[in-house]
Amino acid sequence: MGREAAIERVLAYYDDDGGYFRDLAARVAVPTESQRPERLPELYRYLREMIEPAFTTLGYTCRIYDNPLEGCGPVLLATRTEKPGLATVLSYGHGDVIRGQEGEWAEGRDPWTLSFEGERVYGRGTADNKGQQLAHQAAITAVLATRGRLGFNHKFIVEMGEENGSRGFRPLVQSHKADFAADVYFSSDGPRTEIGRPNITLGNRGVINFDLVCKLREGGHHSGNWGGLLANPGILLAQAIASITDATGRIRVEGWSPGLIPENVRAALKGVTRKAGPDAPEIDPDWGEPGLTPMEKCTASNTFEVLAFRTGNPDRPVNAIPPEARARCQLRFVVGTDHGNILANLRRHLDAQGLERVVIETPDTSNAIFFEATRTDPEHPFARWMKAAVDRASRQDCAVLPNSGGSNVTEIMQYDLGMPTVWLPLSYAGCSQHAPNEHILRPLMREGLEIVTSVYWDIGDPEEGYHP
Amino acid sequence: MPSRDPSREGAIDLATDYLDSGGFEADLARRVAIPSESQTPEGLPHCARYLDQEMVPAFEAMGFDCQVFDNPIEGCGPVLLATRFEAEDLPTVLGYGHGDVIRGLDDQWTKGAGPWQTARDGDRLYGRGTADNKGQHGINMAAMGAVLEARGALGFNAKFMIETGEENGSSGVREVIEANMEAFRADVFIASDGPRVRTDRPTVSLGARGAQNFDLVCELREGGHHSGNWGGALADPAAILAHAISTIISQKGQIQVKEWLPPPMSNAVRDALKGVELDGGPDGPRVDRDWGEPGLTPAENVYAWNSFAVLAMLSGNPASPVNAIAPWARAHCQLRYIVGTDVDDILPALRRHLDDHGFSQISVEPPPPGNAAGFSASRTELDDPWADWVRRSIERSAGQPPATVPQMGGSICNDLFTDLLGIPAIWIPHSYTACSQHAPDEHILLPLCREALALMAGLYWDLGEGGTPGTR
Repeated sequence: MGREAAIERVLAYYDDDGGYFRDLAARVAVPTESQRPERLPELYRYLREMIEPAFTTLGYTCRIYDNPLEGCGPVLLATRTEKPGLATVLSYGHGDVIRGQEGEWAEGRDPWTLSFEGERVYGRGTADNKGQQLAHQAAITAVLATRGRLGFNHKFIVEMGEENGSRGFRPLVQSHKADFAADVYFSSDGPRTEIGRPNITLGNRGVINFDLVCKLREGGHHSGNWGGLLANPGILLAQAIASITDATGRIRVEGWSPGLIPENVRAALKGVTRKAGPDAPEIDPDWGEPGLTPMEKCTASNTFEVLAFRTGNPDRPVNAIPPEARARCQLRFVVGTDHGNILANLRRHLDAQGLERVVIETPDTSNAIFFEATRTDPEHPFARWMKAAVDRASRQDCAVLPNSGGSNVTEIMQYDLGMPTVWLPLSYAGCSQHAPNEHILRPLMREGLEIVTSVYWDIGDPEEGYHP
Repeated sequence: MPSRDPSREGAIDLATDYLDSGGFEADLARRVAIPSESQTPEGLPHCARYLDQEMVPAFEAMGFDCQVFDNPIEGCGPVLLATRFEAEDLPTVLGYGHGDVIRGLDDQWTKGAGPWQTARDGDRLYGRGTADNKGQHGINMAAMGAVLEARGALGFNAKFMIETGEENGSSGVREVIEANMEAFRADVFIASDGPRVRTDRPTVSLGARGAQNFDLVCELREGGHHSGNWGGALADPAAILAHAISTIISQKGQIQVKEWLPPPMSNAVRDALKGVELDGGPDGPRVDRDWGEPGLTPAENVYAWNSFAVLAMLSGNPASPVNAIAPWARAHCQLRYIVGTDVDDILPALRRHLDDHGFSQISVEPPPPGNAAGFSASRTELDDPWADWVRRSIERSAGQPPATVPQMGGSICNDLFTDLLGIPAIWIPHSYTACSQHAPDEHILLPLCREALALMAGLYWDLGEGGTPGTR
């Protein structure tokens, strides 16, 4: 049967030393760090040398859009129109990565060189997102080679600024809506929730980053001469943080709650757990909203994090009251949260605590992110069709997550382009994405290629395919 | 150049002339140029050099015998004892200074010419150690020299020690004194360090707060984890540490660990501090009047109460933040405490407090060796006869009674004198609170130094006049 032939073809590519991992190595070698302005030329180079030629060969027409925001990464759209009237599928990947964090990787590994150890393949971008984007590309290559056509119209976005908050991407799409218009959305990013079982994810948590700053005066002052006389900014900021959540992470800011978990979300999450693999961190059962399962905490509730905190001179402390303290903070939030008033509600909260001296600031652009929360109804026909397709391909019961814990550009597809959105994550939660030692698991990615190929095959099937 | 005048006024004139003629600035410039950091290994040879090149020749020129004691603790600086013995029946006065300084913090200076070069700007003289303590012991040495020149003798026996590890907790100084008790023995200790209560108010300080430094650490796991994938399932160490700190001290700076508090303040202390107004000068930080123990005045908070500070805290990567839950958070903390605090229970009480508040995952760890502090609190009582005698000498020179504080806010090895040598210890600070000691832009005020030279010359003159406590 055709589907098996396509799968065989994609697995041959994966298992061949000159195939998937050679292509991935070339892509990982381009240091596409979108949080570093000096990498802008690398972002363009990645599209021109890695993405555009590959899609052109597959019969796509490519266009690279400059980002409307100065210094931000470009966006490539590859379009293959087979026949008007066929479903148009929109896919997405991002070619940029977070900072390499050179020197912090175990065994002296270089983030820009693939290194293999047992089942693991290390390198910046292997999981997030170069490896996953390449899996989709390999899948459509196999379908095209086997069937001679996809059986649907296809648009593929490769964005180069996702790790920098996708700044400029949304206005870019908004001013070219027709170019990006499609019926359904199918892409891969992020980790599965259970390492041994596929899941589709129908949305994402929103995110807002902000700095809390307590700057009381210029310069440090001797902690003996002044201790007891000068308010301590580190202590005030600690008090502010301690007022935002309780000691177990439960949010206490009025207006930051999303309300009760909707029944369809609770039902979808029933039986879904988090199995992140052997080296994954141990879940803290007492952290977060009480009474929720870990899955509900990560995907159906809001969470506040202190990403970083600094006061004084931690590397070489001196006996002085520091002049200022700064915390890099983040709120992840789900659909139902009053996302337009997050910072206003926080301001009101801090003022009510008597913490007027703690100021809310916009973080440096490299860390200033905001995404809306999204969610496609698990009962939407496309969601149901996709679950069935993945069940078929994996011969497993695919889990359905109403949204992920992470944050991404789904807002554009759901709110601007107006389509149902399905993500099929191909990594696992222990993959250290956003940290040193990012890696993928060879068997897991192999299974990922198989499923993605099967899904694309099925979408294009004249009878079984998805018809909006 | 004033002619030699064997009188109190003559001695004072000689002392102030030392500043007016530029001698003070010249001597201090050479001394500041020696980067005698005691918190870095590179500073150690400079600590020894400071004694050999600057202190020993200066004391020998005044007829002192100098003895440099190696520090018995590896990596800690030497201690100089200079002794000038005049006669058996005269009182013996022990002086003190420290030749070491805190880190230069070279790249953070915004004024002057960096830490290792003095630079004058109006009344200010910038440089690391100008205030803490090279300028202050330089003043006392010069005042003693002026008395010697005016009188031909001091009229008392003088001992003067210069240590080189004060900023690193004076490690080893106790051992040096214990092994040489006779050499250090004296009737009274009079020295200068730290700031006055306000620029225009001569100050006598009778003790020092102790300092207990420690780290609070919340280390939950290895490595960072994506805050989207894990946010809600993994505890946040910085948030937990912030919560722990918020239980130790209130939003208004009131200590919440009851075992950390000293006994209630005596009326004598309240009386002594009545009318003591703090003023850091025009560029000094503004006192936060609502910070600290409620009901206490600012002066009572700093000179007669305990205070807790977060000196530094780190979690994640503040310079280049990533969207990950940090694996650990660390706060470098300090309790300054006065005599009467149950010192041995500071850390055990903290452990109990953390456990009682559900923070058993937070560990209390030793501070980094470079900022270990560890001074004890000690003081001489307000009614000590020597304290009274010193106050009267200062009043005679200044025309106003000095402010008297039960203990300075800072910490120093005062207990070596009060407890180990068993003598009254009296401090006459020559700096002011906004001098940025322990920070970039450290400086002294030259008019204040000039007044200090006069006060100290008058005091050393008076010491040789007879009628000191214990004599008839």
